[in-house]
Formats: sequence, structure tokens, C-alpha cells
Amino acid sequence: MEHEKCYIYAPPESNSEERPSKRVRTSKLQSQPQLTERLSTYREVWAQQEERIQQTLENADSVTQENIVKFVAASTTSEGEPQASIPTGLIVAGPSIASHGLFFSRLGQNIRSETDSAYAVLTSGECPNLKTLLKCLVKKITSLKDDGDEHDDLINSGFSARNGPKLLDFDLGHVQMWQDKNETQSIVVAIQDSEAFDTAVLVELVDTVHSWLDRLPFILLFGIATSAENFEDRMSGKSLRYLDGQKFDVTQSDVIIEKLFSVTVANADARLRIGPTLSHRLLDRQKDHVQNVQDFVDGLKYAHMSHFYASYPSIFLRKGSTYTDLPSEAFEAVRNLPSFRRWIETLLQDGNASEVRTLLQSDQSLHEEIAKHIKLGQTALTSLSQAAILFHNIRESLQISPPFRLSTIWTRAAAGDLSGSPLYRETMLSLKKASSDKLKQLLISMERLNMEGSSIDWAKFNQNLLKLVQNSDGSGPLRSQDDVRNDSVRTTVIAQKVLLSKHKAALSEQDKAYSELVAQLHDEIDRYMTSAFIDPQAMFLSEIFMYDLKSPHVEVFQPKPRFAIERALATPHDYLGCSCCDRNRTEEEGVLAATQPATAILYQLFLESGTLINASDLWSAFEAIVEEGSEESDPKTSALIQRALAELRYLGLVKPSRKKTDHIAKIMWKGL
Amino acid sequence: MAIPKRKREENENLETDATPRKLRAQAPDEESANEPEIQTPSRRERGQIAPIAATPKSILKKPGIFNDAIVSTPKSTRKLVFETPSKSTNGTPAIVRNADRSARRKSNRRLLELTINGVGSDEEDLGEEDALAEQILSDEEERTGINVAIPEEPTVPDTPSKRGRGRPKGSGKNQKLRKQRSPTPPQELPPHEEYFWQNRPGGTKTSNNTLSSQNLLNHDEYFQAMQSYTERHEPEMDLLVELHSRAYDQWLFELEEGFNLCLYGYGSKRPITDAFTKHIYERYLTLSPYKGTRKTPKIIVINGYAPNTSLKDILAMIASIVIPTNKKVPNQPLALLNSILNHLTETPPPLPVPVVINSIDSPYLRKSPTPSMLATLAAHSHIKLISTADTPNFPLLWDIGLRTQSKFLFHDATTFAPYDAEIDTVETVNELLGRSGRRIGGRDGIGFVLRSLPENARSLFRILVTEQLALLFMDNANDFDDAPATPKNKKVAATKNVPADTVQGVEYRVLYHKAVEEFVCSSEVGFRTLLKEFHDHQMIESRKDAMGTERLWVPFRQEELESLAEDLSSDMM
Repeated sequence: MEHEKCYIYAPPESNSEERPSKRVRTSKLQSQPQLTERLSTYREVWAQQEERIQQTLENADSVTQENIVKFVAASTTSEGEPQASIPTGLIVAGPSIASHGLFFSRLGQNIRSETDSAYAVLTSGECPNLKTLLKCLVKKITSLKDDGDEHDDLINSGFSARNGPKLLDFDLGHVQMWQDKNETQSIVVAIQDSEAFDTAVLVELVDTVHSWLDRLPFILLFGIATSAENFEDRMSGKSLRYLDGQKFDVTQSDVIIEKLFSVTVANADARLRIGPTLSHRLLDRQKDHVQNVQDFVDGLKYAHMSHFYASYPSIFLRKGSTYTDLPSEAFEAVRNLPSFRRWIETLLQDGNASEVRTLLQSDQSLHEEIAKHIKLGQTALTSLSQAAILFHNIRESLQISPPFRLSTIWTRAAAGDLSGSPLYRETMLSLKKASSDKLKQLLISMERLNMEGSSIDWAKFNQNLLKLVQNSDGSGPLRSQDDVRNDSVRTTVIAQKVLLSKHKAALSEQDKAYSELVAQLHDEIDRYMTSAFIDPQAMFLSEIFMYDLKSPHVEVFQPKPRFAIERALATPHDYLGCSCCDRNRTEEEGVLAATQPATAILYQLFLESGTLINASDLWSAFEAIVEEGSEESDPKTSALIQRALAELRYLGLVKPSRKKTDHIAKIMWKGL
Repeated sequence: MAIPKRKREENENLETDATPRKLRAQAPDEESANEPEIQTPSRRERGQIAPIAATPKSILKKPGIFNDAIVSTPKSTRKLVFETPSKSTNGTPAIVRNADRSARRKSNRRLLELTINGVGSDEEDLGEEDALAEQILSDEEERTGINVAIPEEPTVPDTPSKRGRGRPKGSGKNQKLRKQRSPTPPQELPPHEEYFWQNRPGGTKTSNNTLSSQNLLNHDEYFQAMQSYTERHEPEMDLLVELHSRAYDQWLFELEEGFNLCLYGYGSKRPITDAFTKHIYERYLTLSPYKGTRKTPKIIVINGYAPNTSLKDILAMIASIVIPTNKKVPNQPLALLNSILNHLTETPPPLPVPVVINSIDSPYLRKSPTPSMLATLAAHSHIKLISTADTPNFPLLWDIGLRTQSKFLFHDATTFAPYDAEIDTVETVNELLGRSGRRIGGRDGIGFVLRSLPENARSLFRILVTEQLALLFMDNANDFDDAPATPKNKKVAATKNVPADTVQGVEYRVLYHKAVEEFVCSSEVGFRTLLKEFHDHQMIESRKDAMGTERLWVPFRQEELESLAEDLSSDMM
């Protein structure tokens, strides 16, 4: 089996082996109590999130998609009269190439469902030259509505007799025949990654398509990651004349991710939240590496999965679970949470010994407390999210620079370091200084947000403001007393010394009233924010309603395979945990223990050598280490060296060198 | 063969001589003078078989200070010892260096004493003198090892005892060993510094030792040896696999949630995929379409490492399971993939189809369309891909697009298990050391093939071998010119070898013209045909050099080529 290329798995036949495996499974089930319940809770929670995500995604680029579909539909109407140029859509989809595939497949669905068109996506990978491109195009289009069989016939046998010479498989004549049969309104060819195509291929494609335009209703769509100008520069003037282009801008993925973040993580109503560390990592990864909506969603999903799979107390997130449903282990698990311990300690400090005793002893009372606290925690997080949104809104409407994203604000708030931070103070100060026209915008947008949690009566403030503005007779907007423009600096020279003194300009009646209003608003918002911006991690049961472990997440999405292999070879003890190879235990620091696996020894010798390695010397060094004490060279040692060498080669650490006989070249350095 | 052997014997003697001296020189306080003498005979005995093994071993036995030296062993290979004397002969600089060196030795000894007498001796004890000593030491770094490492004889006249034992330069092996002990190259460099250090110009000086062919095992010997070998870490390795096995349920859950798996880490991951496949199999047996029926779940296992595994094989295998047999499937991979995916979308199977790919990063699956098509396959929700990757840089296979498409979750599955199935050890090593000629059974194999070929082919092969030999001789001509000047010789050879070896093999054109001259063939087509036969039997190898000219050569080393040429000409005549 092991040397076959592919095969279908057949279990080993001996029955005796089945028993131990079964035993293993039962023991595993015990270690994962109520897994099914937790997983069903997970599915419930995730389904909710997923729905939001889907909605956001659909809304995100629906406008662009609609426009493109409209464009396609409009281009098809001019049938009959010969077209001078190919209708072309230039889709500026931005640099996040990973989400382009998704975009184009969705676009394809829309185009197919709303217009009577054939749609084929071409990627640069499939089309190294014009011939393969056309072949691909022919295949994709002709196999769209036919069965594979018919398509094969079409290519292989049929029509050759009727139409004289047999058509080659990259001849667009196939498409024409197919078009005669199906009579679609248009044939949409989407070039997903136009930048990756060879320019010559694109030019030739345009030429070819143009020459067929009188017979086939082609429409071209180019996906562009850079800019339409750049695309234009690449094409020759002649082919540009064949194109009749229209530009479409796609929502950039970072904007979409920001939206996704606000509907999933920072959403007011989420049963499980992703903690600040993890969301920070997710966002950073998006920013620095992937820029990919799908990846962000996967990350979120995996976080949800890990929480419900690995953490037993997550069972308490289940809706409608009663005390009787839960075994005592669940409560035991809660009692082991660090936040439980912290809570108990604070209770003890407050002198509630009896309460602590009941909590420790009675599962039922603990259950009540848990239910209460989970609700508390969730409300606290909800109000935190709302406050973050409000905060973001204030900054946005007052146009405070630098602009902060909601995700940044939320992560900082959830980490508990927003309240009291310079960012917070700056924002509140700008609020105080805001003039009436800006404040008006703020209040309007606040009213639109329609937050339930905050006790601030936006409408009332708005009315008061309106009244003030109407009463004011001046032309400019009202200014508060903290506005810099109401300050004036007075310079006095007394005994050759310059004294600077600040003076408040005399405030008009309206301005005074306005200042009062602003101060009142400021105080209320400040009060609300300080109450909302708590540190969620300090709360009891924060482990349950907030998932913030980076451990499985990072390894699973950003693995360091090279590091893992290097570590395994450089310090095999880390993995094997054997008593013989522990470097720390042997006092002789840095000795190559002969007990290590052969490859590890050879690897460490390899690490110490230069770019060119003499295999013979490596061999003898290895023998010196392994054969300590033995009198003659053992074929076993030779075999081990050979195996280790072969493994180094297989892992791509060395390669043959022709510089000198029996030398190998090093091609990988540890830790780089 | 005879000459190197004698040399080696010489080396062995030298080496046994050398070792005690070193010990004495290094730790005069510790070692009594006669102790090395006791050791010598035994070592000489052993030296006959594994000359190199002997020396470092003695050091290994020593506790304490020497161990530091051993760590750095291979590093030292980089410096060729015999370069020192050649420089010293230049004249004046030698004296300066010499003075330097004795200072260094002094300082070194002082440091050694310090460490031996009291490791606990505190920093305050390290006065100016010690600082100076250290500075001197670090100044010249590994230029020459600490007193141990340098072949001092020619330059150190003040110790007559050492001079008496002087050995000629160029006795490669033991010199190398001595160097191994030098703790000179800087230790604990950050990775990038180490890279530049090891790549510094002139930094790659290695000895000219060659591996005797007897050392390399052939397939039979290798498997025989491995059969009797028992892994020392068997229990730990089993434990690793057991640890990974605890994650099987988690992995299943991840698969169910629409992700695919990719396992990485050192060691063959086949035991894990095997066990996990079994796990899936058993799980599937308990699920609806298979439960209570005689139907068995079909899990596709693909061994990417198997030579010439192609995407077509994989897709055909999947198609054979997914698409009912009465339906015609297209032949082209792309079309096949599309029809598989279409079929899966239209008539989804009750349970997703698990596909296990061992070594998804194998060279056979790396080429351009394969990764992207595998990603397309993996992206389908009814395909569950469980793959393993062996090389450290495998994520480079996929750009973000592909990576997102394939929805991989990565798990570290280090097993330390030998890559028995993945690697053909003997073959890989032969290829690594440029001895792929061994593949066809060496000289005998070639003779066997040649006998079955027409005379023209034999003549062509003879021409190739003689041409190649002629080239080799031309390369070495300079080295042999001043052969009698033994001490310098090696160094010269070392420097000359580099340009010489870069032009390896016979130019295609040259060979063709020679062949035409000797009436071996009359046209290039005939020439090609003859060469193809050799290629098929892997008797010759070809490559384009930097200038783009094709070069051909017989993958043997000089001695073997010589005897081959002899055989061929005797056959002919």
C-alpha cells in the first residue's frame, strides 16, 4: 500500500485490533462530557453569526454587482447591428486578490440568473498563452449547458464532416456552433486577474475577440487589482480602440472586514464574543498578510469552534439549560475557573463567608449565580460594544483626526484600556469644543443609531440645540466656552517684561446657553462611557462568554512548520521528552548526545558547518559521536548516517554540490 | 586506490601521535605526561578501522573543558589547517603571527587554568590580564585554533619536543579532527549573522577527504543493517503518535465544519494518517448510509511521494468513487476535475468524501497546475482533504488565494518516525554525493548494458569516458605539476579544484564531432538515438551549464572511470 500512488483505504482485517480502539473511544468520551450539547450550542450560535456575515457580504458589493449585471444586460440589447468595439467592464477589485475569486463567482451567479448570458472566468494560471486560453474558454463555454458527453462529441467527432476540415480544439468556431444551438444573448468572459496575464496574451485575446464580434456577442470583464489607468497603459493603442470600457469600483476588503467586525464581534447581541487579544490578532493578520474576507470569517468560526469544543463551561451558554440537565462536573469545572477564584476572593474580602460556602458546596445556588452572571456579563459587553460604537460615532461626526476604526476602538475598549486613555480624553475634549453645526450632525447621527442601552436622551438634546440655533441671531455657528476661538491671548509689557495672559472672550447669551448644553451632554456621555468601559476580563465567568485564547488559533492559521522541524531536529528532547537526550540535565552543556535520533545529530553537525560540507568529514564526525566506545565501524551506523543524510536531503536542507567531490551544499540556515 | 590508502595509514600514525601532544599542550596541569602514552596503543588499533572516530572520542570522555570544544566540531571543518603553513612561509608575517600566537597560547592557557582550577572564580579575579587574554583570543578568532588546533611545528621553534613530532601537511583527516576541537568560530550568533558568517568570502574551506565507496551501503546492506536496528526512542515515538491520536476527534470535528487538514512536522506522518483514516472509517461505519449495511465507506489515500504521482491519477481515483461507473468521464484533468465537482454539487453524497494525501508537497505534486487544482478540489464542501507536508517551506506552495481556497487548518504532527516509504535512502544519498552511477550496479552493470548494445554504442561510450577522463586530467594537470612539493601541494589543489570542477562533463558538440570522426555515427539523429539508450539506462547524465551548452558525463569518479576505460578498450581491442 505504501508504495502505491493512490488506493482506497481498507481496514486491517484482524479483529483483535478493534478492541483497544474502542476502549480508547469510551475513555475519550469521558474526557469530553456533553460534547454534543456544546456542539449544538456552537452550531446555533454560529448559524446566527453566519447569517449576519452572509447578509453583510451580500450587501457589501451588491451595488457594484447590480451595476455590472445592468451593464451586461444593457450591452446585449444592441443586437443585430455590428458592434465596433467590445463592451468591456473594468472591475477595480483592489489588491486583496484572495477575495476576487469569490467576487467573480458571485458575479457569475448573478449574471447567469438575471440575464441570458454565458459566463466564463479565466484565471492566469489556466492561460499561459493564447492557445490554452482559447482552449479553456471553448471548454468552459461549451460545457456550460451541455452534458460532458455532448461536449466531447462536439470536440472530437461531430461537425467535422459537415463543415469541411475538422476544427481544432482552440477554435472559437466551437463556441459559434454552441451559440447557434443555445442562442444566448451574450457571452461574458471574465479575466479574473488581469495583472497576472501576459500583456501579449491579453492583446491577442482582445484582437481575437474583436474579430469574432460580428458572430459572437462577447462581453469582456477585467478584474483589476491596481488601477484602470495601469491597465490602460499595458494595452496597446490598437486594442484599446477595440474596447468600450466602463469602470466599476468594488468595495475593498478592508472596508468589508470592518463591517464584518462590527456585525459579528462588536455586535450588540452576541452570545459569545471574541476577546481583544484574539480580535487584535485577526485584524492584524488581515492588515499585514492576507486581506481576505473568507479568511477572517474562517478565523472567527474557528474561534467559536474552539471555545465550544474545548471548554466545558461553555455548556452554560446553552439556552434554556436547567439545573437538572447539568452534571456536577460542569459546576466543578466552573469552580476551577480563575475568574471564579477571583470572585470568591473578593467575596471573602467583603466578608461574605457564608455565601462563599454555599457557592462552593451547593451546585444549585452556583447555577443560579452563573445564570445571573452570564446575563450580567453579556449585558456589560453589549453596553461596552454600544459605547464603542458611540465613541466611534463621536469621532467620526466631529471629524477628529486621526480617524480610528471601530475595530481598533472596540479592541482597546474590550482590553479595558480605553477609559482614561489619551485617546478618550482627546475625544471628550473635542466634544466640549464642538461648535453647534458639528454638534448637530453628531446628535442627528446619534439619533439615527438609536441606541437602547444608553440613557441619554438624544432627541431632547437635539431639540434644545435647535431652539438655541434658531434663537441665535449671529451668522456663524454657536461656540462653546472651551472653543479655542473664544480664547484670546493678551500681551502686556510691564517693566520690559512680556506677560502673556489668556482671556476668555465675552460670551454672548446664546453662546453661554450653548456651552451649558454642551457641558451637560459631555457629562452625560462621559458618565455613560465610564460606566460602560469596564475591563471585561476582570468579570466573573468572562472565560465563558468571551473567548480570548490565542493558543490553538495562531498555530492553526499561522503555522511555523520550519520552526517546528528545526526545533525537532535541534532539540529532539522538546518533542520526545526522553530521559536520555535532555540537554539541560546533562551538565556538559552542548554536548551532542549520542542517544539522540541520528538525523538530529547529523542536523546539529550540519548546523555548525559552513556552506559547503565535506560528506566524508561529516560522516566521520557522526561516527565519532555515535560509535563512542565501540571498536569497529558498524554497518548499522553507516545505515543510520545514510538515512539521516537522505532525510536532510528530503527536507531540502542540503543539495548535491559539484564544487568538490563528496561535498554537499547547505541551502537552509536555521532560524532564518 | 593504492595511493590514498597509504596516505591514510600515514594519517593514522600521525593522528595517534598527534593526540597526546594536544592533550599535553592543552591541559598541562591535569594530564600526567605518560597518560597519553597509555592511550596510544589502543587507539592505534582502533584507528585502523575508524581512524577518525578515535580522536574525538578521547575527548568526549573528558569531562569539563573539552566539551565546549566538541560542540563546535563541524564548524571547524570550514578552516583548512594547511593553509596556515603556506602563509607562514611567506616570510615576515609569519613571525608576527607567531608572536601573536604564543601570546594567544599563553592567554589561552591562563584561561584554561582559570576554568579548571576554579570555575567559581569570580569576576573580580578576572583582572586586566585575563581581559587581555580574552581579547587576544577573540581577536584572531578561529584563524588558527587555540594551541590545540594549529599545526604549529614549522612556526614554533621554541618547543623542540613538538618539532620532533612534526608531520607533513596535507594529512587531511587528522588535521580536520584537530580543527574540530577548536572552539574558535563565534558561538551563539543570531541566525542572520550566522548566515553571513558561514557565507563569508573564503569561508568555505573544507578538507579534501573523500568517502570511500565501501562506506556507502547498497540497498541490500542497508536494509539488512536497518533490520537489526532498533530505535532507541521507540516508546517516546509511540507516545507522540498516541498524543496525536487524542486529537483525532477534534480533527474530525474540524473536517465536519468544512475545514481541511494539513499536518506538518518532522518525521513521517504516515502512521498518523493511517490511524486517522482508520478512525474516519470507523466513524463512517456508525453513520447513516453505512450503518447496518454491508457497504463500506470509501476513503481515498494518495501517496504523493510515490514517484510520478500525477494529478490525473488522483482525479481518476476520486472520479471512480464519486461518479457512477456507467457515466463517461472526460480524460483531461481540468475537465475531469470540473465534472467531479459538478457531479458532487448536483448529487451530493450522503457523507463528504475524505481524501488523504500523504506528502502534498512532494516534487510530483508541486508543478504549476496541480496545487491550484487541488485547492479547487479541496474548496468543495463535499471533499475533505487530509494532507501531510514534509518539507519545512511547504506553505510557499500556495499563495493567499489558493490557501484561502483550500481552507487548511495546520497541525503540528511531529512523529520522529523514519521516512521509510517516502525516501529511497540509498538512492538519495548516492545522488546527493554525486554517485548515481552506483544505481545501475557500477562498472559491472555498465558492462552488462554495453554488451547488449551494438558496437557503435560501445564505441561512443568509450569516447565519452576517455574524453571525460582527458578533461579530468587537464583539470588536475596543474596540481600534479608540483606534486613533489608536498606541503604546498594540497593547498594548491584546493584552490585549483574550484574552477576545474565547474567545467564538468563533455560538451555535446565536441562529443558529437568526435563520434562522427570515429565513424560511430553519421548523423545527429543517430547520435541522439545512441545517447538515448544510455540515458534510459542512466549511464550518462546531462545538464546545461551556465553558458547554456549541453554537457554530458558518466556519473562515476575518476578511479572508476579509469578502470571503466580500461575495460572498454580491452573489450574493443
